[in-house]
This record gives sequence, structure tokens and C-alpha cells, in this order.
Amino acid sequence: MTGPNYSNKSRVFGLLLSFALIAGWLGTSAHAFSVVTTGGTNTTADGGDLGNATINGTLRDASRSSDDGTVHHMERFPVIVQDFGRVETPFIISLWIFCACLGKIGFHMSPRFSKMFPESCMLILLGVIIGLLLFYTHAATVSPLTANVFFIYMLPPIILDAGYFMPNRLFFDHLGTILMFAVVGTIWNTLTIGISLYALSLTGIFGDMYELPILHMLLFSSLISAVDPIAVLAVFEEIQVEEVLFILVFGESLLNDGITVVLYHMFEGFSVLGQYNLIMQDYLAASASFLLVALGGTAIGIIWGFLTAFVTRFTKDVRVIEPVFIFVMSYLAYLNAEIFHLSGILSITFCGIAMKNYTTQNISIKSQTTVKYAMKMLAQSSETIIFMFLGVSTVHDDHSWNSAFVGLTILFCSVYRVLGILMLSAVANTFRVQKIDFVQKFVLSYGGLRGAVAFALVLTIDKDIIPAQPMFVTTTIAVVYFTVFFQGITIKPLVEMLGVRKSSHRKLTMNERLHERSMDYLMAGVEDIIGKHGNFYLRDKFKRFNTKYLTPCLVRDTQWSEPKLLETLNYIKMEEAMSYMHNSGHPPEQIESFAALYRTAHNAAHNAQLKQGDGQMIGEIWNLDVAELEYNPTAKHINDANFHHMLSDEYKPIKKRRHGGTYKRHAVQDEEMVEGSTTETHRNRNIRQPFVNHHHRYHHRKNKDGINGKAGGSDHIQKLNGTAITLRNDYIEQQMRDNPAFQPDDTDPGSYGAMENKDKAYKRMSIRGPVVAETTLPWRRHILADRPTRASIVQRRQSVDVDNDHVPTMAEMLLPWKRGDDLDGNSEPRHAEHPAWASNEDYIDTDSPSNTYLRRIGDVAKPNIQDIFKKRNSSASLYSISESSNGLKEALRRHSNQSSPKKEDGRKRSHEKSAYSRRSSLKDESYWRSALSDVPRRGMSMRDSRENSEPSSRRSSVRDIPSEVGGHGGSLLNTAITEEEPRASPGGTTPSPRAEHVINMEPAGDTPNTLETDRDETKF
Amino acid sequence: RTSTTRTYRGEMLTYYYNSRYRAKPLCYHCVESKFRVRLCVKCYFLILYNMGNKSSVMLDEQDIKALQADTGFSGSQIERLYSRFTSLDKGGSGSLSREDFLRIPELAINPLGDRIVHAFFKEGTDDRVNFKDFVTVLAHFRPIKRSQENKLNGRDEKLRFAFKMYDLDDDDAISRDELLAVLHMMVGENISEDQLNSIAERTILEADKDNDQMISFREFCTALDRTDVEQKMSIKFLK
Repeated sequence: MTGPNYSNKSRVFGLLLSFALIAGWLGTSAHAFSVVTTGGTNTTADGGDLGNATINGTLRDASRSSDDGTVHHMERFPVIVQDFGRVETPFIISLWIFCACLGKIGFHMSPRFSKMFPESCMLILLGVIIGLLLFYTHAATVSPLTANVFFIYMLPPIILDAGYFMPNRLFFDHLGTILMFAVVGTIWNTLTIGISLYALSLTGIFGDMYELPILHMLLFSSLISAVDPIAVLAVFEEIQVEEVLFILVFGESLLNDGITVVLYHMFEGFSVLGQYNLIMQDYLAASASFLLVALGGTAIGIIWGFLTAFVTRFTKDVRVIEPVFIFVMSYLAYLNAEIFHLSGILSITFCGIAMKNYTTQNISIKSQTTVKYAMKMLAQSSETIIFMFLGVSTVHDDHSWNSAFVGLTILFCSVYRVLGILMLSAVANTFRVQKIDFVQKFVLSYGGLRGAVAFALVLTIDKDIIPAQPMFVTTTIAVVYFTVFFQGITIKPLVEMLGVRKSSHRKLTMNERLHERSMDYLMAGVEDIIGKHGNFYLRDKFKRFNTKYLTPCLVRDTQWSEPKLLETLNYIKMEEAMSYMHNSGHPPEQIESFAALYRTAHNAAHNAQLKQGDGQMIGEIWNLDVAELEYNPTAKHINDANFHHMLSDEYKPIKKRRHGGTYKRHAVQDEEMVEGSTTETHRNRNIRQPFVNHHHRYHHRKNKDGINGKAGGSDHIQKLNGTAITLRNDYIEQQMRDNPAFQPDDTDPGSYGAMENKDKAYKRMSIRGPVVAETTLPWRRHILADRPTRASIVQRRQSVDVDNDHVPTMAEMLLPWKRGDDLDGNSEPRHAEHPAWASNEDYIDTDSPSNTYLRRIGDVAKPNIQDIFKKRNSSASLYSISESSNGLKEALRRHSNQSSPKKEDGRKRSHEKSAYSRRSSLKDESYWRSALSDVPRRGMSMRDSRENSEPSSRRSSVRDIPSEVGGHGGSLLNTAITEEEPRASPGGTTPSPRAEHVINMEPAGDTPNTLETDRDETKF
Repeated sequence: RTSTTRTYRGEMLTYYYNSRYRAKPLCYHCVESKFRVRLCVKCYFLILYNMGNKSSVMLDEQDIKALQADTGFSGSQIERLYSRFTSLDKGGSGSLSREDFLRIPELAINPLGDRIVHAFFKEGTDDRVNFKDFVTVLAHFRPIKRSQENKLNGRDEKLRFAFKMYDLDDDDAISRDELLAVLHMMVGENISEDQLNSIAERTILEADKDNDQMISFREFCTALDRTDVEQKMSIKFLK
């Protein structure tokens, strides 16, 4: 923009203000402007007077004073200096964008308009209005849309956006057809339109205003025949046709740029040389440059794309600048191509395509989001500006309207487009698997929109060489208006009328992703068999090359040859987690882990029992013995567990901002950089294994020593920093196996859908089918009296508390038997010499366990074991045992004779006090870490307190259990309830009164245990 | 009968053959040239070499007709496939073994190569694929044309074929283990087991409607309802 003088400038400014007023809500901002300017220039001016006259006046004053200021009086130091000239260009441009965006808002506010018109129409209209305003106030001598501005600044963001988010697969699937449309179609259009127009010009129909040699006509037709990517995007994004159709039109519009540029430069050069001076060499050079421009542009783009990917490989520590590389390097690709007059559009498109797959693997998720939104934003705003400028540029007095020329150009454009499409799609159909049908042909030909590229090109034509340039400009504008308005508006109803399939914007499901991959392999294989080197074959070749050479070079961590599969998996998980978060009223704490699940199962079972038993305790009484507890997770529970783990995998609660957190320009709080998160993820996953991978646990019993020995101990903590920190499945399996509750089985009922696995060969003796609690929580082996005598235990405990490198796995912390002495190795899982109930005197009266259990078999008079325990339990609650973990003394104090609601309160209070409670720890530590570290500490404290106040505490807290009961009975209850308890209270659900809980032991499961236990014990 | 005339690409061609040499494995070149004049030296050698071997199907008009009716391929497509078939058939026995297939270098490194080859072999046959089987299997991948109904290349048949890639034990259901096995083939080594597991789980969870932890063929079809299988599993066979 050439610098206009001051008065002109002030007029521009006033005008801008005036249309800003027109545009809507500018009352306040106008006020602000005027205050600033008046205040600055003339301190004695009449305050905040609004209105253009005043502003202009003051500006004029200012200009006068600055013109001859030195003559009149000395300039004092001004309070504020007004200097619009300095910021003029960016200011005006920003105002443009601002207005256009306001217009957009308004446009989308009225659904009737936005349904009827494409947005581009609105923008052009807005541009025209502004243009008219500028024109009639004689303000704008500036033509904002120069070819240079357009090609250097406006176009690249749009094309980059298109290239970067190009559906690669689709694009390359249809590349042949697209190329044909782009190359052959454009050449066809250029030649036919040019020649037809020239032929008609010979008849004199266009008048004799300009002389129109054939080269000029061809130049014009070359720029008018190119389908415009911006217009196509703008319209097709709104009508949402199916992907294939879209990619055909859009791909064509992108790729024909190469051809257009070549043809344009060729005819321009020829025109400069003059029709009669052309020799063979020129033609040859033109064809060579055609190849060079297209292929060269593509090559430059691809090289820059790979370079970008390579650079982002090293940005791990400076995440913030990742988007910069992507933007700047693709822009460099564009400019680099433009240096040699190669096709910049092709260059930046292929740069985007080439880099995308690798950069997405390299850069962080946040950077990806940044890139995505920044790109969309840039593209949107330059599209907005382009259409508006197109409107503004329409209004000038240099038009040279020639009805015949305009009409015929539009006619030829449409007719030859249709013809070309019909022809080319007929050709394409011979090699396409999926034929282009009639409707598609129609949309293809109707979607041939012309736009800003043509306009920018026509502006660059030199008027001195081609005298008919004004007419060309006018005609181009007319064609653009025709296509954008007429075709753009009518295409939507037409598409609906013809029933063009709409695109379904959705992510692939895991099945689709997986099976499509396998289909690719399958088809590649079939192509190999029939010896055809087709699409699939080529893709397969490329894929192989890619995984072997490219990916290792360009991607930081390559360990996964199918990143898409994982991507889909993560996406789906994320989605589900999100929807779960939104749909369920519960905060995530409630769907907690293991323990919460356990509790729900617990309560559900309990309630069911209550209902069915109408208050009376019948034979099937709720079972408090956790080892006997039946955990029959329903599908819902399993899903809950999955969701929970999803949440914990994908979601980490936002860290609470440190008070007065510092601002860092160079670093964002990037969670992903924290290595620990991965380990946590894995830990969580490991816990999930027993539930989800549940068939894994049916395995043959191996050498126990190997499991619990040293080797076994190290087995489950693998590579803490790697991605594969797995508490190996087999480890869990082994743990399960060790549980004596398992017996060989062929017909496992599989309460939650066990798969029929061949090597599953264990049967539980329990009547009700496999009980997960039983299998996962084998505390039977746990001995209360275990003491950390061995150094290894002490060491381990320290490591849990202190050593960060040796983070205990979740299993270690949650599964109590891990805490026991059998972790330190060298020992069999220890068992009590006698089962818990063996020392119960009442029980001893009964002859045999089976007799006790099968009550009323045999001597009815003999007390049933259930009755024995019921008697003892009925008075007191086992609930408070849990308090041994949190605060034993409190528990003791509260324990006796408290009514359950009070107890509830007390528990809550104790929780809030407890240093280890979830809620308090949430404050300073990340949720999961706290949740995890919570557990072992609790376990420790429990154990410690137990050890310290061994006799008394146990007696009092476990007083409902016969005191003679072997240690492991108590520990078992202890552990189980401790696990469960802390989570129960934050949820606020009132647990059913525990006073009614009664121990019920199942007979069948226990008998073999006892025997086994005895046998094991003899080894000590 | 020493010669037969038939139309090939609009030309009337005369094919000479000796009934003694019915088992004529021909080199690719000779098949391509449609034995227009005479066989090349290599083919003579092949014929001599195979004289004592068991006979195979020499393509003649009836066979082609029958195959055309069965599979929907055009005559020239069948001839082209036959030439491919013979070029794969290194032993010249008129049928292909698994090794013959896996001799194709790309197929050998295709992760699903074994599965694909396996699909050519029918249950309970003697592990050879004759030309008819060969064409019949390939007919699954013909593009679907609305005008002509064909039972081999319908959507269901295509899906069935894809399904068979996973169904390692031919029990008409994809179990988790099978899925994992195929995933292993596809993604290769050095991948964390966890991820594979969770992918397999997710896949089954998604598709499994009747909660039997398996994907039956019906469920498989439902899961791919929105996929353009017709297009993805079609090859343009050269005319």
C-alpha cells in the first residue's frame, strides 16, 4: 500500500470507523478510538465528542500542525502522539478481519441465511458493501487483494490446512482419477475454452474494443479453467458430500494448480514473445517446464515434509516450538517452490501430506491440538479475508463489461466442464473399481467452482502486454460470482434432491480399523498372487519401505508398526471415558478401583439377600469372609472397571495450580513428559489384568518355588521406565494358581463369560462357581503373625516408602499377599497349622467340617457353624476393624455401642483427619499417585499398629471373631475391609448396617484347603 | 481333433494341439502369445519333461465357459489368470502347492500370507489347488456390478473371506487368541503385549453382541456394516 497523504488517511480512518459502526456493535470501541485520538492531538478539544467530523477535524488539525509546526510555535513534549500512518496497514487489515468475523457471527446467528447461502457468498457480499462504501466515499484507492499478497500470505495457510488434514488414504486411493481430472481436465478446459472464445472473437461478437489474439485467449482460459481449491473447500465443507466425491473434486482443485501455473506462465511467456516469434524450442521448454513445475513442486514439498518430521524428532524437550516447525517449515516449502516458480500449492500440499504421519507421532498431543486449531484458524481467517477482498475488489471504476464475452465464458466454462468430466470419468471408470456414477459425475461437474486463484492470477496480467486485461478481470469476477453464487447456492438443494450420499464424520471403530488393515494385507496378497501391480501392491510396498527405513529415521520412538491401531484404541478409550464422565453423575472417585467394585458387589449381594430373606436369616446368609465372598461382576461392573482404568489411563486430573505459579514462556506444563505417567498407566493396567484377561489365569500349576522365590519376586517388576512394565500376566496367573481355592475344572461356568480356553483346566470346589474375590485375594495364606524379621522385608518396606525408582507396582500395593512375607521369597505361602475355625471350641464339638456345614444332616442338635458365628456377630459390627488402618485408637474409642449413623460420621471425620486419606492427598499430589501410594502406606500402618499393639488391638477390634481364631482369620478380615473402607466413605453412600453381617463359611471350598495347608506347613 | 478355432479378442485363432500333449504346461511367454504360431523351446522342454506326469487341465473352450459361468470372469480374464497360474506352477503339475504360492516373494513376507494361501485350500483336499479352485477363490475379489448377480463376489462372500483370515481354527468364530495371533502377525515383534491385548479386547468387546467373548461371522458383518467392503475388497482384474 502506498502511503497516502494525511487527509486521505484520515478519511480512510473515518470510513473504517463508519463501517465499523455499520457492522454492529462498535459503539464502545468507536468511543474509545475517538477519545484516544482527540485526547492525543488536541488537549483542549471538546472532550469525547463522537462522530467522524470531529475526528477528521482533529486529524486535519494535527496534520496541519505537523506540516508547518516548526513555523508557528515550538512543539512541547506531547502527552500522546497520534501516528496512524505507522500502523495503518496492519490496523486496516486487522479491522478487515474483525469485520469479516463479525459478519460471520451474524451470518451464523440467523439459521435461515446460513442454511440457504454458503458462507463465501455472505463474505463476498459483505466485501461488496464495504467496497461500495469505500468507493463512494472515494477513500479506497488501495486495492487490498494484490496478487502478491494473495499468493504469498493468503493462499499458503489454506492449502497447508488442506494438505495436512488430507485423508491420505483416500487421496492416494483415488490419485489416478484425481490426476487425470487435474491434468487432462485442466488442459482440456483451457484449450477448448480458449479456442472456442478465439473462434467466436473472429466473428466480431465481442466488438472491436480489444484485439484478441489466440495466445491472449489461451492465457485467459488457462486461468479461468482452473477449479479453485478455496471455493471448493468453502462450498463442499458445507454440503458434506461423501468422502470419495469430495476428495475427487478437492484433489483435482489442489493438483490442478501445478497445471494452471504452468499453462499460465507458458501463455504469458508466449504472449510476451509474441505469437509469431515462437519457435519449437519454446514449445519444448514449455512442456519440460510443465513436468518440472509439477514434479519439482511436489519433490520440494516432500523433502521439506520429511525434514520437518526429522526436526520434530528432536523437540522432546522443547515442546512449545513444535508447532512452529510445522508451520514455518511448510511455509518455507511453499516459498522455496515459489522461488523457482514451481507450484507452491503442490509443494505445501505434499509437505503437509508427507510430514503428517511422522510429526503426529513425534509431537505431543497438546502440540497436535495447537497445530490443528492454529491451522484451522489461519485457514479460516485467510479464507474469510480472501472472499471479502474479492468483494471489495469488485468495486472499482476500471471495469470493462462485455456481455457477450462474459456470457460466453460462463457458458463455455460450464459446458466444457461437463463434457470434460463425462469424458474423463468414462476413461477413469475403465480402471476404477468403484465406478463414478451419474450423480457423482453431476456433482463433479457442478462443483467446478472458480475463485480467488483465478482472480489473483488475472490481476497479475500486465496490461501493457495484454490490452484486454480489464475485460479479463471483469469477466473473471463475473465467472467467480457466477460459480460462487449461482452454483454455490444451488448445489446444496441439488445435492439433496439427487440423493448424493452424505459423509459420515466419525472415527473408525476398533473393528473397522483392524479389519481394514487386514483387508489391505489380504488384498495386497491377492494382488501378488494374480501378479498385478495395483494399488494394494504399491501401498504394501510403500508401507514396507516406510516401516523399514522412513519411520526409524523420522520418528523418535518407533516400536509400533501400526500406529493407527493404537491411535484408534486410544481415541476410543478417550471417547468412552469422556462420555462416561459426562453421563454418569458420579465423580470419578466413586467408580474407584478394585475396592470400590468389590464394595458394590458386596452391597448388591447383601441387599439382594436382605430382600429375599425378608428380614429373616436363612441358610444363605451374607458372607463376610472375604475369601468366601462371591464376586460375580456383572457386565456393568466390568465396564465400570474398564472405564475407571480408562479414566486413569487417559485422564489425569489437572494438577492443582501451585499458588502463585510462575509464568514460564518456554515451558508448558506437559504431563506427557513425565515418565511416571506411563508407569502408572501400566500399573493400573496390571491391576486390571485379573479382571479382564481372566482366562489367563487358568494355567497349570508350576513350580511354586519359582514363583515366590527371588526370581519370581523380580519377575513382576520389569523395566520401570520402559513401556513394557508389565506385571506379567503369568505372574498374576501364578498368584491365582497358588490360591488353593482353585481346582482343576473343565466346565468352568465363567460367571462373567469365560472363554472356552483349551488349557484352562481348573475347577473351583465352591458351589456357586468361581469367585473372583477368592481367586484374587488369597489371603488364606496370609498370616497375621508374620514379622518383618528378614532384612529383605525391611528393605522392601523402605523401598516402598522412600525409593522412587523402585516404585512398587500397583499389585504389590493392593494385593495384600504381596505385602506379606511370601514376597520376600524363599518361602512357600504360609498357612496356619489349622484353619481359623479349628480352634473354635464350639466348633470342635462338631464332628467334622462337613457335618457342620451341612446342617441338619445328621444330628440336628449340634450347632451349625453359622449359628455359632451368628451368635457372636449379631451384637457388634466388624466394621470398625477398618479403623485399625487409619487410627486404631479412634477405632477403639468409638467401637463399642455406637449406632451406625454416628459411626458413619466418625469414620468420615477420621478420614478427613487421616494423613493418608484420599481426599487430603489429592490436594498436593496427582490423584493416582496418591491413590496408589496410599494403599501400601495404609497397609504398612495397619501392620505396624497391629504389631505394636498386637494383643489388645486385635482382641478388641476383632472381638466378634472368636479370640482363639488363628491369626490369619483376623488378618484376612482386616485386610479386606481396610481395602474397602476408605473408599466407602467419600462416596457418601450409607452402607447397610453391618451389625447383621454374619460369617458364613462355605464348606466345600475349605476342606481341601485345610489339608493342603497342613501339608505346606510341615515344611517349615 | 488336432486343432480348434476360437475367438480371442475378436480374432479367429487356430490352436493346434496334439491330444498326447494335453498336459501342456506352458511358459508365460507362450501363454501370453496364445500359442499363436508355435511354442518356444522352453515350452517344448516343459512338455517333454512333463510327458509322464499326471495330466492337468488344459484350458479349452468348455472349461472356460464353465468357469465363466461359475465365476463371472470374462474369457480373457480367465486366460490371463491361467497364464499366471501356470507361471506359478513351477513343477508343471497343473496344480499349486503351498510352496508354489509362497514362492511369490511379496506374499512370503506378507504378514497374512499364510492365511491367504490357506484360504485357497479347501478343507479335506490333498493340499493342491487346481486351476478351477484358483479362479473360484479369486472370483471373490471381482468388483460387484449391479447388473450381474454373482454369488461369489457378493458382500457376504467378501466378508467371509476376510473373516477367514482370523478364523484360524475354522470354527466360525474369532476368539481372543485368534485375534491376538493375527495381530501378532500384522504388527510384528517388539510391541508391548499390553497394547496388543487391549486392542484385541477392545475389538471383541465392540463386536461381541451375545457376550460369548467370540466374534461370530454375523457379529463380524455387523461390525463392518459401515465399511465399504465392496470397494475395499475388490480388484480390477485386467481384461
